[in-house]
Amino acid sequence: MAHAFRNTSALALIAALGIIGSAPVLAQEDPVAQRAIDGARAYMKKNNLEEVKLDVLLNSLYRNSFPDFAAEWKELTGVELVSEPLGYTDIPSKVMGESVAKTGAFDIFNDFPYTQPDAASAGVLKPLDEYAAKYKPDFSGIPDAFVAQQYYNGKQYSFVLDGDHIMLVLRKDIVENPAARAEFQAATGKELGCPATMADWEEQAKFFHTKAGETRWGITFEQPLYGAMGYRSVNFTHRHFPAYFGGLLFDADMNPKINTPQGIAAIKALSSIVQYMPEDIQGWGTPQIYPFWGSGQAYSVMSFPSIFGFGNANPDSKVKGNQLPCVIPATNAGGEPVRRAAEAAGTSYMVNAYSDHPELSYLFIQWLTSPSVGNRAIAHPKGFWDPFRTQNLGDAGIENKFSREFLEATLENAEFTTSLLYIEGHYEYMKILDNHLADVMNGNTTAEEAAEDIEDGWNDVTEDIGRDNQVRVWRQGVEAGLYVDKF
Amino acid sequence: MTDATLNGTGGPARQGPRMRLRAWLGQERVFRWIPFVLVEGVFLLVIIIPFLLTIYISFLRWRANRPFEQAYLSGFRNYEQVLTNEGFWLSLGRTFYFAGAAVTFELIVGFLLAMAVHRVVRGRRIYITLFLIPMMLVPVVAGYNFSMIYLDSGPLNQLLSPITTALGFDPRIRWLSDPTAAQLAIIFADIWQWTSLTFLIFLSGFSALPPQLINAARIMGANRRQIFFWVELPLLKPAIVIAIVIRSMEALKMFDPIVMLTFGGPGTSTQTIAHYLWEQVWMFNKFSFGAAASVLVLIMFSVLIFTGIWLLIRQSDQVENQQLNTGSDR
Repeated sequence: MAHAFRNTSALALIAALGIIGSAPVLAQEDPVAQRAIDGARAYMKKNNLEEVKLDVLLNSLYRNSFPDFAAEWKELTGVELVSEPLGYTDIPSKVMGESVAKTGAFDIFNDFPYTQPDAASAGVLKPLDEYAAKYKPDFSGIPDAFVAQQYYNGKQYSFVLDGDHIMLVLRKDIVENPAARAEFQAATGKELGCPATMADWEEQAKFFHTKAGETRWGITFEQPLYGAMGYRSVNFTHRHFPAYFGGLLFDADMNPKINTPQGIAAIKALSSIVQYMPEDIQGWGTPQIYPFWGSGQAYSVMSFPSIFGFGNANPDSKVKGNQLPCVIPATNAGGEPVRRAAEAAGTSYMVNAYSDHPELSYLFIQWLTSPSVGNRAIAHPKGFWDPFRTQNLGDAGIENKFSREFLEATLENAEFTTSLLYIEGHYEYMKILDNHLADVMNGNTTAEEAAEDIEDGWNDVTEDIGRDNQVRVWRQGVEAGLYVDKF
Repeated sequence: MTDATLNGTGGPARQGPRMRLRAWLGQERVFRWIPFVLVEGVFLLVIIIPFLLTIYISFLRWRANRPFEQAYLSGFRNYEQVLTNEGFWLSLGRTFYFAGAAVTFELIVGFLLAMAVHRVVRGRRIYITLFLIPMMLVPVVAGYNFSMIYLDSGPLNQLLSPITTALGFDPRIRWLSDPTAAQLAIIFADIWQWTSLTFLIFLSGFSALPPQLINAARIMGANRRQIFFWVELPLLKPAIVIAIVIRSMEALKMFDPIVMLTFGGPGTSTQTIAHYLWEQVWMFNKFSFGAAASVLVLIMFSVLIFTGIWLLIRQSDQVENQQLNTGSDR
């Protein structure tokens, strides 16, 4: 076992070194990356700099992969990147603290895109349009919602390099089990496979929800098989809500649409399926959901795309080769089915407005997110960047890591990607939603009462921040394609 | 080396600035002020100035998602918003519930443990060390351990399963995701970690009991129960008040177990006032609202804590007077 592990590790290392080692060649083939390299070298020369250190406030998920790219950038340009890894829950407060302190301690911020509206309005982010005009980044092949997330209030503030749009994964071995298929069809009259709608998913979850000790389709379940899994814990539930709501959360004047039949139905659907999830799901985050899925105790999971990679790559996984990636099921929004894959998290790179070297910081970001280097990042064995642009599909490294089947599903899913709320006060709006969804799931309130309270809470936040400003940026975002839907 | 030290005599006119400063500081009328100025300077820097700034910010209209330069005075608007905010009162109420329940148990268990250990002759040091271990653990480590213990398939539920099954309950209690169970889980984690402190305080109280009074009571025919209730317990009152004041002060600021175990959830069912303030300021960027809420919480807690301290002083005075009276009677 240890021998096999050593062999696997060695292969992974060789693959990683191979990917990194081929860097300069690939960079030259990619004009976007090459412009960034040339720009950084010219900047160093123009300013008579021999050694420069840039500090990166890094999402700690990337502590084992980002250093490889930092080392490569140093080799290419002489610019050293010092990363300061921090948990993603703590990064927004550090960024906002910097907006008050104005120290320039960090040159680059790495966080969810949703920090950007507050940070940009606070003046702590450097607008990148001037540099973008000069160095010409390439956003081809990136779905609208992801492109739009790089802008706020008409200016570019960030680059994205991650497709964290939620998707559904089923147990392929169960879906392909002839006895299970026949029994499901007999019970529901439907063909078993990726569910078309959220209601279909719940129907499958109900059907496959199995108690410990039961024997079904010739299999005796020593442990229970849960019909579904999804994020339902504090600060995470709201990230799944747009998939159930299927539309814009506000009208053109920022009046919430939550307290409508569409909103109430979404709250009910999100809460209803919890009965087929593990009992403790409201206390679970990624550290619990991923291993539980890997343990084979669930039929389906709605999650970040990386769960598919986890299921295949984790040595202890019992679902390896037995996962069926599905495009997000549709919800019935106002009478017609629509698919909305919420961009539940994401990875953005922003430049501190108080950095001593904002241009140099920009150049690194352009290089890292360029088509060729971005592909290598997504293919990195220890990275958490997920595929999101069409160029990812033809990349051998990415296909090797994620599988062709998964890539096709996730890139199709990317077309339905909708952002969460991309305006100032994002975390407050979403926390209000989160709290009331939890109350409904716990039976402390009804969906109707929750919808009313959420509406009041959202209106209070809008008034507190300033309705005129919120309406303006909300309309801009909708027009830019942040949410797929239009007014 | 300065000119003054080189010629060995140099009068004030020929001394360097460093020597002149040294001579000035060495003067009696200056020297005695140095400790005061240093202490007060630090106090001013780390307490008074931030406190005044907090009060100032509490009167501003300012979210950190706008530059500070755009902040403006808004009178008591933030205070009004805090006082009419349901979340503020609910988290405050929850804080008192958690603190009240946790401190009560910590006092009872800590007192009983201290009483037992005080009477133990053999292995006393081992017991003391064992009972103090929880307090020495870093709260984050304790929180992480409890997050594992509280898993629905974790050791606590396995331990309880014979009882819960016999009583007809679901043996997989959702310690961290059921609103009521999560509250109990937080309280229990606090009790586990901080009973050590009340134990320590009570043990020192027991150790300081004057043996002559207890011997005198025994000679006068008092039994163990009478000695405990009429001699020991009154003398332990200062220790009890100290334990109540110190633990209440800490428990009212409960934050670590919340972040480590539930992050205030599910919903807001385990959100304490400390977590609420953190969220308002650092997650929602409502700096001026948070400042106003902090000032109000400070006022409320100060009233409680100063009442506790006043009780403590009164108890100490009473005990001192009793001892003086006992001494003069002799």
